[in-house]
Amino acid sequence: MSEILKTLRSNDLALGLIGAVAAVGVWEICARTGVVDPTLFPSPSLAISAAAQRLTAETLADNLMWSLFRVFSGFILGALAGAAIGIAAGWYRGFGTIVRPLIELLRPIPPLAWIPLAIIWFGLGEPSKLFIIFLGAFFPVVTAAYQGMRSIDPVLLRAAQTLGLDGLPLLLWVAVPATAPDLATGVRIGWGLSFGVLVAAELIAADRGLGYMIINERNTGGSVGVIIVGILLIGALNLLTDAAIGAAIKRWVGRWHGA
Amino acid sequence: MLDHDNLARCALRRSEAPVAKRTTSPFLQFIAINSVGKTFAARTGSSISVLDCVDLTIAENEFVSFVGRSGCGKTTLLNIIAGLEDATQGQITIAGRPVTGPGQGQGVVFQQHALFPWLTAVDNVAFGFRKSGLNKTDRRQKAMDLLTLVGLEAAASKYPREMSGGMQQRVSIARALALDPQILLMDEPFGALDELTRIELQHELLRIWEAQRKTVVFVTHSINEALMLSDRIVLLAPNPGRIKRVFDVDLPRPRSRTEPRFNALYEEIWDELST
Ligand SMILES: Nc1ncnc2c1ncn2[C@@H]1O[C@H](COP(=O)(O)OP(=O)(O)OP(=O)(O)O)[C@@H](O)[C@H]1O
Ligand SMILES: [Mg+2]
Repeated sequence: MSEILKTLRSNDLALGLIGAVAAVGVWEICARTGVVDPTLFPSPSLAISAAAQRLTAETLADNLMWSLFRVFSGFILGALAGAAIGIAAGWYRGFGTIVRPLIELLRPIPPLAWIPLAIIWFGLGEPSKLFIIFLGAFFPVVTAAYQGMRSIDPVLLRAAQTLGLDGLPLLLWVAVPATAPDLATGVRIGWGLSFGVLVAAELIAADRGLGYMIINERNTGGSVGVIIVGILLIGALNLLTDAAIGAAIKRWVGRWHGA
Repeated sequence: MLDHDNLARCALRRSEAPVAKRTTSPFLQFIAINSVGKTFAARTGSSISVLDCVDLTIAENEFVSFVGRSGCGKTTLLNIIAGLEDATQGQITIAGRPVTGPGQGQGVVFQQHALFPWLTAVDNVAFGFRKSGLNKTDRRQKAMDLLTLVGLEAAASKYPREMSGGMQQRVSIARALALDPQILLMDEPFGALDELTRIELQHELLRIWEAQRKTVVFVTHSINEALMLSDRIVLLAPNPGRIKRVFDVDLPRPRSRTEPRFNALYEEIWDELST
């Protein structure tokens, strides 16, 4: 049974790859035969060669590192704050009663809507972008942490109590690990949102980073090829980091949670 | 808290309908359940009485079973002894000290295994030593000893979801034994197991009980199981939960289902349960 599933799954992967390769092929042919205007939509080979010409490895690496640095720092701060507040709100009833309405009120505001305020508060420098990315990670994680805390099997807490645990040790050794699977889901969603918010923030207000790189190319009348390579690169980066986080989560909770 | 009205009411109840001879010897009163009542607040604002005037004393090293139909308050009573829930009336003392919370020498095995899914078998048992002040290596060493006691040393590194129900309950028993509690409280611990595993674990439990001399309070739906294991069987009746009768199981161990006395007791308890 699992053998069949495995072959099916590797077939799925192969088919998916064939689809992607075919799409690139069609694109190449369309651009070359003039079905689409190559100045608006250059063929993949043209896009890559244009990008190779206009971008030095150095500038590319610099922009990439800046984007990664921003998204990591904002995400980590947002996820930590979200986890801490969500867990505390789930554990300490009084605290939860106070902060939950506030969180529920702010949560529906898309992080990008904060950009004007962020610029007024923090200026155009790094802190405003950090703040927006922070929000992207914070809300999914805080919600997941709170929900996770509320859905802990009470028998686990009781079992630990009969073994003499209460207060903070009960929270840290039982409630927090019991919440880990929910937390992991929140972290993964938060990462995706942080990443999306990052590029948007860089499009609007930045002087480095992948988002800046593509919007600058457009503003200075550069090559469409660079923009296309840029967005594909952003996609690839998101894909890779998401896969890495997924793998880390699987290592962390997969064995006992059965992911 | 001494509620004199409650005590008087329960004393009257006892004199009207005696369920068992009440021992007064403090030596035989290791666990003393005195006129315990429990009411839950219902959602409608009224309250439901789940336990009323429960009086029982349990001697040290005694094996006592609670039987009774579903919803008669067995789990609630066990939880009160465990210190996981408060009695609304009366009180329970263990060796003369009122029960004010868990961790006063009560080890608990729950109906569902209640193992920590993020810990392996050995770490689940080692978790039981968290409050013992032992360091990590000693905790694991002691946990391995307990796993050996329940015959599971080979499964030490398995996670709960990788274990069968019987293995999970063995680990639960090992973990409950970690702090070397004087009392083992077990809430239908074998209820979810198949007949064969169940009988196997009954034997294991008796072996451990005899070797370690614990006081065991055991909740079960099965009269057979109660008869195989217990010194005394306490029959609870519902609405509100109260003790209907207490049976002495005066049978030598190891017991056999085929003995006539076993069957006579079975019939007697069954009659009382079903009327
Ligand atoms: N937290 C609670 N709030 C309200 N009612 C409760 C609560 N816990 C238990 N009860 C009620 O108390 C009664 C006794 O419950 P309990 O779990 O002690 O029964 P039990 O004898 O263990 O039943 P079973 O054999 O099915 O496990 C039931 O009617 C139940 O609905
Ligand atoms: Mg029960």
